[in-house]
Amino acid sequence: MSNDNGVRVTHAAAQAQAAETIASIPSVLSEYSCTLCKKVFMSYSDLKYHYETEHADAVLPVTVKLHVNGRDCEVLVEPQSTLKQTLQFKLGLTGAKEMCNEGACGSCTVIMDGRAVLSCTLLTVECEGKDIQTVEGIAADPKWKPLVDAYCKWDAMQCGFCTPGFLVTAKALLDRNPHPTEEEIKDALAGNICICGTYPRHSTAILEAAAIMAKGGLVNG
Amino acid sequence: MADLVGVNGQREHFRVVGKPNLPGVLSYALATGIAKFGIDYTAPDMLHAKFLRSPYAHARIVSIDTTRARALPGVVDIVLWDDPDLMKLGASPFGPPKSYLGNVAHQELQEVGAIVVAETEDICNEALRLLDVKWEVLPHVVDLKKGMQPDFPAIRTPEDEGPPDMFSARNPNDPPKRGNVSYVSKIEGNIEEGYRQADYIIEYDTNLPAFASHIPNPPASIAWWFDDPYHGPGKSLRIEGAVQRRENIARMYGMPPEKTVQEGLFQGGKYCDWGMRMSQEITPLLAKRTGRPVRCANTREETFDFLMNQRFMHIKVGFTKDGLITVVDDNSIADNGRPGNSSFGVANDQGYGPYYTFKCENISQKYTVVDSNRGKMYLSGQHCPFNWDAGTMAIALIAEKLGKDPVEIAKLNLHGPTSQKDPNPVPSFEACLETGKKLMNWNWHPSRAKRLPDGRLHGSSFRYQICPRHAFSGYDCKLELRDGKVHLPTQGPCTGIYAVEANAMVVAEELGLQYEDIVVDFDYREKFTPVGGGSDGTTASSWATKECANILKRKILEAAIEEAENPPPPSMFGFGAPRQPSPFKGRKPEELDMADGKVVLKDDHSVGVPLAQATAKNIFATYSGRPPAAIWSLGMGKMLDTMNTAWCEVAVDEETGVVEILKLGVVADPGKVMRLTSLESQIDQVMFFSQGCQLLEDYFYDERTGVRLNNNMIEYKKPTMVDVPDVTRKFLETRAGNAAYGASGISHSLANTHLIIIAIYNAIGVWVDPPATPDKVLKALGKA
Ligand code: FES
Ligand code: FES
Repeated sequence: MSNDNGVRVTHAAAQAQAAETIASIPSVLSEYSCTLCKKVFMSYSDLKYHYETEHADAVLPVTVKLHVNGRDCEVLVEPQSTLKQTLQFKLGLTGAKEMCNEGACGSCTVIMDGRAVLSCTLLTVECEGKDIQTVEGIAADPKWKPLVDAYCKWDAMQCGFCTPGFLVTAKALLDRNPHPTEEEIKDALAGNICICGTYPRHSTAILEAAAIMAKGGLVNG
Repeated sequence: MADLVGVNGQREHFRVVGKPNLPGVLSYALATGIAKFGIDYTAPDMLHAKFLRSPYAHARIVSIDTTRARALPGVVDIVLWDDPDLMKLGASPFGPPKSYLGNVAHQELQEVGAIVVAETEDICNEALRLLDVKWEVLPHVVDLKKGMQPDFPAIRTPEDEGPPDMFSARNPNDPPKRGNVSYVSKIEGNIEEGYRQADYIIEYDTNLPAFASHIPNPPASIAWWFDDPYHGPGKSLRIEGAVQRRENIARMYGMPPEKTVQEGLFQGGKYCDWGMRMSQEITPLLAKRTGRPVRCANTREETFDFLMNQRFMHIKVGFTKDGLITVVDDNSIADNGRPGNSSFGVANDQGYGPYYTFKCENISQKYTVVDSNRGKMYLSGQHCPFNWDAGTMAIALIAEKLGKDPVEIAKLNLHGPTSQKDPNPVPSFEACLETGKKLMNWNWHPSRAKRLPDGRLHGSSFRYQICPRHAFSGYDCKLELRDGKVHLPTQGPCTGIYAVEANAMVVAEELGLQYEDIVVDFDYREKFTPVGGGSDGTTASSWATKECANILKRKILEAAIEEAENPPPPSMFGFGAPRQPSPFKGRKPEELDMADGKVVLKDDHSVGVPLAQATAKNIFATYSGRPPAAIWSLGMGKMLDTMNTAWCEVAVDEETGVVEILKLGVVADPGKVMRLTSLESQIDQVMFFSQGCQLLEDYFYDERTGVRLNNNMIEYKKPTMVDVPDVTRKFLETRAGNAAYGASGISHSLANTHLIIIAIYNAIGVWVDPPATPDKVLKALGKA
């Protein structure tokens, strides 16, 4: 993040980094590595045969096709892997944060087929073919700059660990309701926990962003 | 007692300091999720590690058979507590050899006995299940009152005790430890005499539940070793996730600091919980053993440590018919937690706690400290502010007894600014009270005396606190004018308090620049960190930055004159227009100033040269020191400068027991507002934090097994967006703190346990211990 201007991260820098992270999402599986002994195979059927012969008691990983932040990708995961784990360990996307890992805090929120969902409570195999947007996808999309700007201007974050989850939930709200009231914002964000207590900042930021985006006609393109 | 000896301490005009809505230097990284916390890091070919954790509240591992676990495909390493590597890591020059990882667990879920390293976390968990562990279950204490019974078996052996905590309170006259109980006392003045002077004596109990140390980001680290011949022979260590503790990790592994790399900046929320977890320390060892990067992360369940231990306080207060307190007799039972528990919040606050501001000099504090298997508070917890409310309750009860406004009782009992014997009012306190009363439309009534139109009972409360002057540690600042730009190098970290932003604002203020002009260079090798003891210690770092900025300024002005007199020869590679002759020729540095991004003539700002052209030199300034009159450096003298007040109104439904907060108000004196938006946010944080403690949060244990029943975010409740009221805030600027311009850090001093509880008492006339859940309110009303 360092440059001639120190590490003052601008929107442009964050946007570029998010875009770069998305660009490095691996698209198709070119090799199939055994989780247990690290042997590499060139096809899934070879891997399957390897499991049958070498690790008969172990659970065979499966391949899943996802559509993440506009990119098609394929992952080899354990059937019990959550979407949160897949995003972090297979796709290098760490914007969805793990605070509770049990669906109680909203830090891991992503948007799936237009709805805000908790990636820690979804199995990756359930997400086959789904359209998933993470905070990186929102950050990389210039039309959501007003929302990110408002979050930064109003310090709608302290430690910042819960913040991406809030921002994703806010984006999902604005997608379906570009002019929310304060009450509607509170209801939409009621499932997001901020231990640093930044709550009042979010409605301020979202209301401001909604007003700016309405003027620029930016919500929903 | 502000900054009298510092430069520009009394500055009157501010262009930058105090401005709202300036994004933090790392805000965009946080909002967009590109910021990485310890738990987020991954590395190619990475392994995962997990500690064995005790299913019992107190148990010894007799043996572990690893055969089945080792046979599990994907398991790479299993390290047992008596492994030479763990013995080496735990070695200390004092006492007998000790492993880094014990074989005795003093708390359910404590790391104990074994570490498993495997290809995935799932395999780690499976391998842990396959360990054949022979446990010897030992007696446990999760109910303090049972554990302190004379016939209850002692749960600690002398070997369990680590070296004494440097902060633990000691009194040579205290009785020796007996069973699970030790005693700590502090007696000041003449208690008998205090009772004699009293017209009334009240007795009350203040019970504090344990609160969770709710670090938002579960602690985690990743480490690997790599070749780095430029910094000497042998491998270098890369560790992420132990932010601000790089040097400790280096020491732990016998590494020179220059061969220990940690680039991550984001520490996450700490809330005075500065202790490192084992998952943040162990990965270098495991990476060395396996030759691969290793990641180790706590789960949320494993992250439910204490921020504040349980405490039962039984207090007797004597006072005159005017309300002047003559004696405080405090007998507390405090949870000593498991071995290694921080003494902050146990008995440490005796010297610096609830009665610190009272004129009354007859104070007896006797603490019965009970060893337990309930949990551990890591350094250092929200100690003083939380315990403060024993005094707040005394004021509320005296007010109730005498039918007088508690604000008046507080005023009567507060000592003066310079010492306990100073009879003068504290200006900051007086100002907070006046503003607070207006803000809240304050009209106190005795308990059960006011009903709202909807039939609910109305209650109100008020509380004050000091801004503790923590700035006892020094700060080593460096500023650089490099290629025409001012750089502020710092190791960070980013803890969510926007500390370095306030430093950058101060530098900009002093150098006639804008906040955006200051280049903040985060570099883990730098010495300067804006974080100090508590919020005040952190704010006090701005004082040192201000001094440093003025040293840099002097050097810049000297260089500008020097180059005006002796212009540097044009560079042979120089391009563009030749340098203009300097307008400062024949002038002296004292005749110059810096304003609007330029070096200017002091008496005529229209004559100036942009900073980047005023000198071709790169200039460095350093300053090491701390602001004057930090309270800890003055032997904890009882001084009062900047103060804060918090106010609350509630409505209590007698039918349902539901408490609604109608209004939370804060009138705080941060001395001088530095970074407004962040200050507002921190006030919200501390008020919501306290709301959670008073209305929602508590630990539940199964007494038979000692197992905690609600260490998860579904059953351990934290306030959400729909639970919290608006906090009405007003900031006063008395310039009486000891950071730059008389600022003072305040937020954690507003942490409270009884502001809402007292308002509930004022409404219903009976006490409800926190958390005041509807069932407890109904029970207190005799309805359940
Ligand atoms: S981490 Fe998924 S909801 Fe908390
Ligand atoms: S900003 Fe720290 S948890 Fe929300």
